[in-house]
Parts: sequence; C-alpha cells; structure tokens
Amino acid sequence: MRNNFAVASSPHLRSKATTQRIMLEVCLALAPAGIAGVILFGWRAALLIAVCVTTCIVSELLWQLVTRQKVTVNDFSAVVTGLLLAYNLPASAPVWMAVIGSVLAIILVKQLFGGIGSNFMNPALTARAVLFISWSALMSAADPAPISAIYDPIANFVGKLGAGGIDVLSGATPLNALNAGSTEGLSLMSLLMGTHGGMLGETCAIALIIGGVYLCIRGIADWRIPAAFIGTVFVCYFFMGGAEMALYQLLSGGLLLGAFFMATDYATSPITGLGRVIFGVGCGLLLFVIRAFANYPEGCSFAILFMNVATPMIDRFTMPRPFGEVKKHG
Amino acid sequence: MAKNKKPTFLSVFLNGLIFENPTFALMLGMCPTLAITIAGSNGLGMGLATTAVLVCSNLLISILRNVIPDKVRIPAFIVVIASFVTMIDLLLKAYIPALSASLGMYIPLIVVNCIIFARAESFAFKNPPVLSIADGLGMGLGFTFAITLLSCIRELIGAGKLFGVEVIRLVLEAGTNWINATFNLELVAPVYQPMAIMTQVPGGFVTLGILLILVNAISNAAKKKAAAKEVQA
Amino acid sequence: MNTYMTILIGSLLVNNFVMNKFLGICPFLGVSKKFDTALGMGMAVTFVMTAASFVTWIVNEFLLLPFDLAYMQTIAYILVIAVLVQIVEMALKKLSPSLYQALGVYLPLITTNCAVLGVAILNTDEGYNLLESTFNGFCAALGFTLAMLLFACIREKLSLAKMPKWMDGFPGALITAGLMAIAFQGFGGLI
Repeated sequence: MRNNFAVASSPHLRSKATTQRIMLEVCLALAPAGIAGVILFGWRAALLIAVCVTTCIVSELLWQLVTRQKVTVNDFSAVVTGLLLAYNLPASAPVWMAVIGSVLAIILVKQLFGGIGSNFMNPALTARAVLFISWSALMSAADPAPISAIYDPIANFVGKLGAGGIDVLSGATPLNALNAGSTEGLSLMSLLMGTHGGMLGETCAIALIIGGVYLCIRGIADWRIPAAFIGTVFVCYFFMGGAEMALYQLLSGGLLLGAFFMATDYATSPITGLGRVIFGVGCGLLLFVIRAFANYPEGCSFAILFMNVATPMIDRFTMPRPFGEVKKHG
Repeated sequence: MAKNKKPTFLSVFLNGLIFENPTFALMLGMCPTLAITIAGSNGLGMGLATTAVLVCSNLLISILRNVIPDKVRIPAFIVVIASFVTMIDLLLKAYIPALSASLGMYIPLIVVNCIIFARAESFAFKNPPVLSIADGLGMGLGFTFAITLLSCIRELIGAGKLFGVEVIRLVLEAGTNWINATFNLELVAPVYQPMAIMTQVPGGFVTLGILLILVNAISNAAKKKAAAKEVQA
Repeated sequence: MNTYMTILIGSLLVNNFVMNKFLGICPFLGVSKKFDTALGMGMAVTFVMTAASFVTWIVNEFLLLPFDLAYMQTIAYILVIAVLVQIVEMALKKLSPSLYQALGVYLPLITTNCAVLGVAILNTDEGYNLLESTFNGFCAALGFTLAMLLFACIREKLSLAKMPKWMDGFPGALITAGLMAIAFQGFGGLI
C-alpha cells in the first residue's frame, strides 16, 4: 500500500511519526476557524466539535480493538476527521446527528476500506453528504448565535467589525442571496469575519485563509489543488457575474474550507502534479455547475466527493509509466 | 447440500430457499433487488411476481425440454419468459394497479432478471417438471424473502415504517405513555427522524453490502460448526 | 438543441443508469475488477444500446402501434435485442476480428443486461422521436460506461489496500458503489 504513495512529490505517509506530525499540523491550521466558529456561534459550536472529535476517536479505537488491529488512534487522523465533520455542521445540528456522522465517517468510509490511506473518499465529507441527504432540514445553515452572556465582549467586537453587525445578517446565508443573483446586503468585511449564516467552521474566511496558507507554506497541503480549485471558481463566476460577484462567491459557503482542508486530503486526491491540477479544476467546475444550476445551494462537498471518485482514474492516466518502471510501482 | 442423495421435491425447494439463495448465495437479479426495495410491500410484490413467472417458465421449459432443440434454446427461453412476464404485467395492471404503478418499468424488466434465465438454463432444461416446480418455488420464495427483508430494513430506517405502518412512531409513543403512567411523569415522546438516504440509491447498495457481510459470517460459522461435527463423528 | 443537452446531462450524470436507476448492475458489479474489461464491456454495451434504441423505436412505431400490439412490447423488444446482439456478434466476427476478440466475450451477456431493455422501455415511455431515442440510448450507455470505468479504477486501487477479508468480492463492491452513488447525488436537479 505504502509503495503506492511513494511516487508522489509531497511528504507522504512514510511512518507513523510523520503521519502524526502532519495531522497535528493540520489540527493547528484548523484551530483558528474552530475558535472563530465558537466565538460566532456560541457554546453549541464547541459542543459539536467536542462530540465529533470524541466520537471519531472512540469509534476508531473500538473498531481497531474489536477487529484486533494495531491501534493507530495516536496518529491524530481521527481528530482531523472529527474536526472537519464538525466544521461542516450547522451550529444548530442535534448531537445525535454529529454522533451518527462521526461513526459513519470512521467506520463505513475509512476503516471498512482498510484504514488511513486506503479510503477512496474523504470520510468527513462523505459523512456530511449522508447527513445532508438524510436530514436536509436539520442540516440547513444556522445563523450566528445571539450574543450570549459569556461571549458578549468578543462577539460584540466581531459584530462591530463586520459591517451591519450580527443582527442585520440573520436569515438567509450569503449563498442564497448570491445565487439569487444579487450582492446586495453583503459586505466584504462580514464575509471575511464570518458574521453571517453558514456551517459552524466555514464562515470565517480570514481564519480559513490563515490556516490554509500555513498548510501550503509548510508543504503539508499541495498549493496546486486549492489554487486550481479557487481559481477555476473565480474564473467561472467572473464570466458569469463580474469581479465582485466572483469575489463574493469565493468567500461564501464551504469553498475555502473545502479547497484548503478537504480537497488536499492525501488518500483521496491524485498523486501526480498534473493530476492535482486536473483535480482542482474539476472540483471548481463542478462546484460552479452545482451552485449555479442544481438543487443544492452549496456544491462544494459534492464537487470534491465526485472528484474523489474520479481520482483513481486521474492517477491512472497521469502517472508516468515508462517501460521497465511498471514493476516498481507494484 | 448433500449431493449424493436423490433430489426430492423438498430438498430442491429448500436448496433454492436457503442453501443457494439467489440473492445471498448466487448474487443473481441484483437490479430489482436494489431498485424497488424501498418499501416492504414493493419487495413482497416484486418477489411474488418473480416467483410466479419463475414457476411457470420452469414448468413449461421442463415440459418442453425434449422438444426444444439445443441450438435455439436461448431464444426459446426468452419467448417463454417474456410471455409469462407480459401476462403478469397485464394482470397486475388490471387487479393491483397501485403495486403496478410503484414497481413501474421494473415489472417488464423481470424478463431480464438473470435468476429466471439461469434457472431455465441450469435446472428446468435438465430436470422433470415436478422438480422444476420445486426449484422455481424455492428460488422464487428465497428471492422474495431476501428482497422483502432488504425492503423492510430500508423502509424501517429510511421512513420509520413497515409495510406503510409508522411502527417507530407507535413504539416510541407507547413506550413514553407506559413510562409516564408507571412513573407518573409527563414526558413527550421523542420524534423519530427517518434517515432518508436509506430509501435512496446509496442506501440500497450499502445495506445490501452489509447484509451480505452478515449472511457470509453466519454461513461461514455454520460451515465451521458442520465441519467440526464431521470431525467428531 | 435544448432537448439534446437535457438528454446528455440527464442520462450521463443526473439519471445515470447505474448510480440512479439501478439498471445494468450485474455487469457493473461483475466485470469491473479490471479497467480493460470494464472498457470492453462499456464499448459493447454502448454499441448495442444505441442500436437497440434505434431499432426498437422503429418496431414500436411501425409494427406495435399500427397493429395495436402495444401489450406485446416486452416480448417484441427483448426479441429485437436478442437478435441484434446475435447480428452484432456475427458481423463483428466477419468484419473486425480484432474488435470481436476484444468485445466478443461480453456480447452474449448483454442480452440479459437490463440496461438495454430498460433504455428501450424508457424511450417509449418518454415519447422520444427516432433521433432523440437513439441519442438517449447512446448517452445512457455513455453514463453506464463512465460509472463502470470510475468504479473499475477505484477497485483496482482498492485491491492494493488492506481491506478486511470479509469485504472481498461482492460486499466490498456494493459498499464501494454505495459511496460512489453519494457523490452522484449532488447532480440532483441539474436538469
């Protein structure tokens, strides 16, 4: 299995120590968005994050104990899955849904296929899609929490930074407005700070950009995927609605979270550089098509999932296979 | 299955129903198995319709097995099966229009259900009529059992119902009432949120996959037990 | 033109035969372990489905409808398909032995591929004209081939993974297909 990955240029899962280090850095990069989520959406966001992470760890631990495998919980990959799943839930999501999602992500999507590195679809995203298809009403975007006693000072501060403040922007998410064709009532500041409706970890663009750029600079995420992904979306919307529309589209919905943290998942994205560019462009095109024309207002998770499915095929056609080298890949 | 014994009506019947169950052991007829199993009544209806076609076609092909030349047997099978499917299709349309509507194009597609074709080719064409009927009944009911089971699981989780009755809601309400009455409380019954994906395409694939894992585990355990017994004897 | 765009996107992605309609599952699960066999099957199915859509439309329009024989649809269609597969097989054998070598094994299996009969019935139900029917048959077959190739690549990749033993064969294939189908759900409402 590991041989399969050794062809790649980026750091890969060579030993447990590096897996652990990579996953810890991903957790670190995800932290700003999580903190922003808790500030914006209140204690329920913290609760959901805790529930998802705990359930993911416990399911992985139990599964590996029951099937008598080596326990690899300390590689932190379950923590990353838990965090990503939580970030993709609305703060209003019931706890049982977070638990079901986490168990599905770890057991159905990851462990049934052989654990870390073997799954062909991103566990957190697949689980989110299952929850979304099953309970779409409960999965609809939540508004930022009413200013609670505990977070009063900080939330007030953030609210003042985001033009219009929290109260004004309750109701529809930016995407609903954008897909209806208008940028009215939206401000760049509010999109950057995340003071608008959405999933709990996807609204604060600044936090996501900080985390994402950190991952790219550290070489943990390959910059080509988010660059191709975000670039494609920008170009598509630029030709459809102009520069302002394109910029607003980039900052709303789950695009940034997906492009930086989920599309770059090692096991479910192509190995070659060219493959990764194709992957990113494919994600961007599908996201545009789904956002603009399909039932779902947000196409990010389905776009990435579909490209996950296409990844083995992309690898097949972009992998350099000169004569005599075939055997080495095994 | 004991192969050295002479096949009887019962042994052939049980073989189809359990040991060589078309869905769980032979993996035949996957399309209707996955497509229509979203409600218990659908599964039962499709299963019985398929059984009827299977028994009739097995009987007729078995009777004609010495008349049909080997070379044209496949077109002959197709004509026989298609005729019976057409009859069933028209009968259902006339007498159970609701079922006919909910099964839709999957009724004419019984023609290409590989179970029927496979039984014609591998059993009815080589065996006498009575045994062929037994095989048709066993295989058909085995198929019916499997897809009804699959339908019930998907309907229960995906819609909270069994054969159209809201079982989960009734159970939850009855349970809450009992607790309230016994402990003098005023709890509100929890509301079941059906997992809609179970009645959709992904749910079909995954449920059948998990069901197969369970069936394989059970049959492996049974085989081990039988082997252990043989060693003891 | 619009109708054709709708048919193309509809049959390829939104109402993909395998991922949304559960048609053609047997070959989808059965001959998808290797990319090359999946490609061969896909090409053979594409050929037969396109031709079957064309011929069944003619049969329906000029034979079944004028003589009030619509109830004979199932029998007529399945016979047409069986004959067609035979002719294709013989023609390939004569005209292009190399193609026959590649596709020959799959051809007999196609008669009982419910995708072929399915597309013929769907064309009739939708009331497509001759060109639309043929195009729909072609697109639906392309969708089948697309799903099949994606699935084959995934299975080739998974064959290198350390999957639990009891996931081998059909159970694993079914669960893999289920996860794939989740990704295809995103196209809902595109047309």
